[in-house]
Amino acid sequence: MKRRTNNFLALLCILTLSTLLITANNALSTDQGSNEKYDEDTYGPAERIEFHHPAKQTFFDHPVHTLALGLECDSCHDGLFEMEAGAAEANDDFNMKSLAEGKYCGACHDGTTAFDANSNCGSCHTAPEDTIYFTKPVTAVIFDHTSHSGLGIGCEECHSELFKMKIGDAETKADFTMKYIYHDAKEVKYCGVCHNGEIAFPSTSRCNVCHIGVKGYNRAKGKTTGNGEDAGHH
Amino acid sequence: MDIKKLSKKKNEGVTSLPSEERRKFLKMGFAVTGVFLGGSVLSLTSVQEAQGQRADVVPTEGQYPFEKHYAMVIRQDRCVDCERCLVACRETNHVPNHHDTWRTTIQEKLTISKEGFKEAIFRPVLCNQCNRPPCVRVCPTRATYKDKKTGIVMMDYKKCIGCKTCMSACPYNARYFNHDRYAVDKCNFCYDTRISKGETETACSAACPAQVRIFGDLLDKSGKVYGYLHTPDKTIWVLRPETGALPNVFYTNF
Repeated sequence: MKRRTNNFLALLCILTLSTLLITANNALSTDQGSNEKYDEDTYGPAERIEFHHPAKQTFFDHPVHTLALGLECDSCHDGLFEMEAGAAEANDDFNMKSLAEGKYCGACHDGTTAFDANSNCGSCHTAPEDTIYFTKPVTAVIFDHTSHSGLGIGCEECHSELFKMKIGDAETKADFTMKYIYHDAKEVKYCGVCHNGEIAFPSTSRCNVCHIGVKGYNRAKGKTTGNGEDAGHH
Repeated sequence: MDIKKLSKKKNEGVTSLPSEERRKFLKMGFAVTGVFLGGSVLSLTSVQEAQGQRADVVPTEGQYPFEKHYAMVIRQDRCVDCERCLVACRETNHVPNHHDTWRTTIQEKLTISKEGFKEAIFRPVLCNQCNRPPCVRVCPTRATYKDKKTGIVMMDYKKCIGCKTCMSACPYNARYFNHDRYAVDKCNFCYDTRISKGETETACSAACPAQVRIFGDLLDKSGKVYGYLHTPDKTIWVLRPETGALPNVFYTNF
């Protein structure tokens, strides 16, 4: 029954998406004429720009801003961003805090001109695709962004109240232990906030879905040797 | 049964139970559960069935053959393979750090649950300190023996000639050849390194962050081990019960 509902939802999504795409396509063709080539001199690079610093997988799309919204090059260049690739990333203040102060993207993304930089995270950032391996306090616990964001969970549900968006931050905390993750704890933190048996499977069950152990960790990291796996002795 | 006598017997056919089987069933029926319920209820369930599988593996209460009967209960589903126990064991008992030399290790089985989750099952294993240890039986020099005071299967390294017969006899693969000692080595519940010095736990059970390994004396009625083994509705199993070695390492999931 559940699967059927899921299938139905998926179908609905596809239908809606394709309708949207067709409409968007039509709009573009009437504006530009279907045969006209995208002009990079007018609209900027056609390809998405990916920023790697300070956060990986942060994207900016020129066509969305210029072609679709009608912004001019000098709206951003060179007042907010230098045209040279990687120039903004080299600056120390190219971060979310500066955006909130009205620098860089924040000049427009302030909640009035365009959506607030402090919302719609997923419009510019995509979640890391790589599995995260926690090795403290025990080796090893996995977390997959993809399997969680696939369920329609927004970034803000976990970031930054439960987990800071900094690799290894939780592992430095003394309370990042099962004592606080078990849903029957007095003060539930981290994964336990959702993994309580109501929103997601309870943290007191299925330990080894997330806990892959030293063996799983070594396998994932391609290590054939680990604790007690000192090769070459018989 | 004597084949000559059997050939003279009357054919009982295939539609009904042979008289031999019927007699066996009646005999089984006489060992009634009524006895366990103060004799007030009479039922035709066999004793073995009434006690369940536990009867085969858990020693009967009050019938422990040793002065101190050390045992371990492993709460298997709590193990997350963090391997702190393995590190602690190597440090405490000077076990060389090679993949095939261990006193205790953790086995892994990868499964996919009904919901489609990848899920591993981890099973800590160690010497089962059997009541009928096959390793002791085969040792030509009596270098390995069942200690009468503790119930632990011990090693006398001086006597070991390194023939490794015990290693092939062990149903649990719990023995290895220690090149430093030039003798076979095995888990002894940390008797020389910890228990004889007054510690109450083995190195592995003390190092476990999830209280998987519960170590204790079965004769201690207030102890956790006694509690786990003598809670009637809990499922307890041992590894390879068919060998008849009567192991003292018990497994459970709670």
